[in-house]
Amino acid sequence: MAEGKETKARLSRWRLVFQSPTTRALAALAFVILLGIIFNADQAFFKWDTHRDMLRQISVFGILACGMTLVIITAGIDLSVGSVLGLTAVLFSLFSLQLHWPPYLAVAATLLAGLLCGVASGGLVAYFRIQPFIATLAMMVFARGMAKWVSGGQKISTAILQPDGTYVYQEVPAFFNFLNSKILAGNIAVVTLIFFFCIGLSWLVLAKLRWGRYIYAIGGNEEAARLSGIPVIATKLLTYGLSGFFCAVAGICQAAQELQGDPEAGLTYELTAIAIVVIGGTNLMGGRGGIGLTFIGAITIGYLEKVLSINAVGEASRLMLTGIIIIGAVLFQKFRQ
Amino acid sequence: MKKLVYLAMLLMGLLVLFSGCQKEETTGEAQPGKEKIKPRWTIGMSQCNLGEPWRVQMNLDIKNEAAKHPEIRVVFKDAQNDSLRQRAQIEEFINMGVDLLIVSPKEAAPLTPPVAAAYDRGIPVIVLDRRVLGDKYTCFIGADNKRIGRAVGEWVVKRLGGKGKVVELKGLMTSTPGQERHSGFREGIKGSEIEVIFEADMKWLEPEARKEMESALARFRRIDLVYAHNDPGAHGAYLAAKAAGREKEIIFVGIDGLPHEGQVYVQQGILEASFEYPTGGKEAIQVALEILNGQKVPREIKLPSRVFTRENIDRGGEWLEDQKGEERK
Repeated sequence: MAEGKETKARLSRWRLVFQSPTTRALAALAFVILLGIIFNADQAFFKWDTHRDMLRQISVFGILACGMTLVIITAGIDLSVGSVLGLTAVLFSLFSLQLHWPPYLAVAATLLAGLLCGVASGGLVAYFRIQPFIATLAMMVFARGMAKWVSGGQKISTAILQPDGTYVYQEVPAFFNFLNSKILAGNIAVVTLIFFFCIGLSWLVLAKLRWGRYIYAIGGNEEAARLSGIPVIATKLLTYGLSGFFCAVAGICQAAQELQGDPEAGLTYELTAIAIVVIGGTNLMGGRGGIGLTFIGAITIGYLEKVLSINAVGEASRLMLTGIIIIGAVLFQKFRQ
Repeated sequence: MKKLVYLAMLLMGLLVLFSGCQKEETTGEAQPGKEKIKPRWTIGMSQCNLGEPWRVQMNLDIKNEAAKHPEIRVVFKDAQNDSLRQRAQIEEFINMGVDLLIVSPKEAAPLTPPVAAAYDRGIPVIVLDRRVLGDKYTCFIGADNKRIGRAVGEWVVKRLGGKGKVVELKGLMTSTPGQERHSGFREGIKGSEIEVIFEADMKWLEPEARKEMESALARFRRIDLVYAHNDPGAHGAYLAAKAAGREKEIIFVGIDGLPHEGQVYVQQGILEASFEYPTGGKEAIQVALEILNGQKVPREIKLPSRVFTRENIDRGGEWLEDQKGEERK
């Protein structure tokens, strides 16, 4: 009799573990890694290089997903992340490749530009009470247009147009090469470390600052949050602003990796960022979720793409498989209830 | 009050935008410092998508050539990759009463009727790069992707001595240029011992190309050459190889040869060769002037391409073997 009770208790503890969103997110990740182990493409999956490259490739998306997570927890959405990434990549290239600003100035100005874009969407959402979908959709179109306007539709690269129509190319600034390099004996990319840093920063905001509790409260019930004296407008402004800031970080990483600022950069990246957040298990209705989940989601999407890529799966099957696996992971998350 | 502030902000923003953008829309209008010549003819240029650098270059080529001829004025419109928008813009040009129309259509079928409508109204139409259906246009100017792909294939066979392992990074395979650059290349290497060991669709995008190349590098210890369907793709592959410390042992080849892209990459030693896919912008204006001056023009003009290599880049490239003598002066 006593033994039976114990089993029951152990069972429910197991159920509890199994029901936690983290476990479920990890299960999806494990499934994708299992796919990689089975379809290892002549052992390519077992090389550290493959994993290092996966982490590098997912970094830019992951950085965008950090901001997206915060915004989604407030029950909002930020569709402008891809475009703001494009704009900031162009600005950063313009500042450092063509205007030859020192790195700290170029970085600061670019981050400020991203922050302003975010605060602008946040202002539309918070002050004017425009739905986040609409406000950030407008910002998405606007920022893309601005990226094209600033760059004149051309990629901003180290090739400088001379008055006589020829091009002179210059050395890539050392700061670009640094961001584009790998450290710790070539074992991890600098952009990956930046991604980890952004994850850490978001965790700090969500778990350690009062601001983070406000974010959850607003996402849970905005009216209740307002009535209990939470500064809703300021919180939203800051949250969207931080998302814009992360876009600028991602834009700098993108420009450094491409050695140029492409006004088309980041097209449809917002969708990948949303997919990362959702696969992790953060609820689109707001109020629930976390940055750890987003980290797992980012790695899951990263491995999925990597496995499909090393096996040279055709584009059509790749898209269908990605769709199916995203739905599978999200359904798995839903079984909790 | 809130609404009023919002409206005022919106209006101000729009005003700033319009004052910033409107200037570049046309050429040939009163240049400061120069004697004013009233343009005799207006040419409408309907571009399907200015999101691609190659098409930006096309407009630039048109603009630069038009700037030499004060008797013409070119009005540019960008359809932003939308067939229906391009259709509407062609109709706007017809209503505007332009003297000649240059169209670089997004797709053949939806743009055939408006082009035909312009032609029936007596407006000469030059179709640039992509075709329309039927024969209701004045002149078609374009290059041949398949031929360029074949030239790359033949060049690769020669460069590798008839044997080697090649990675092919394909452009969007649902687009005709992607398909033709692929099939032409395969024709070019047919019969040799060139082996394509890895192929992937990088959708013309540099980050995608870098990603796919990293997979290829992880899988294969020996890669002799990378053929990318466009120069940004080849550049992305180069960056991947460089990150793996293997860029010295691999040859990179791309297509497009834009002055600020492929040609610069060749100069920098990143690509060993870039094959030009000419925009035809300059030729379009030359043909337009011939038409406007009442001369007869051929119904179809095939643009020859050049190949840029490290050896010939300073001489401005070299015309492809089978296309010598085709170039328009």
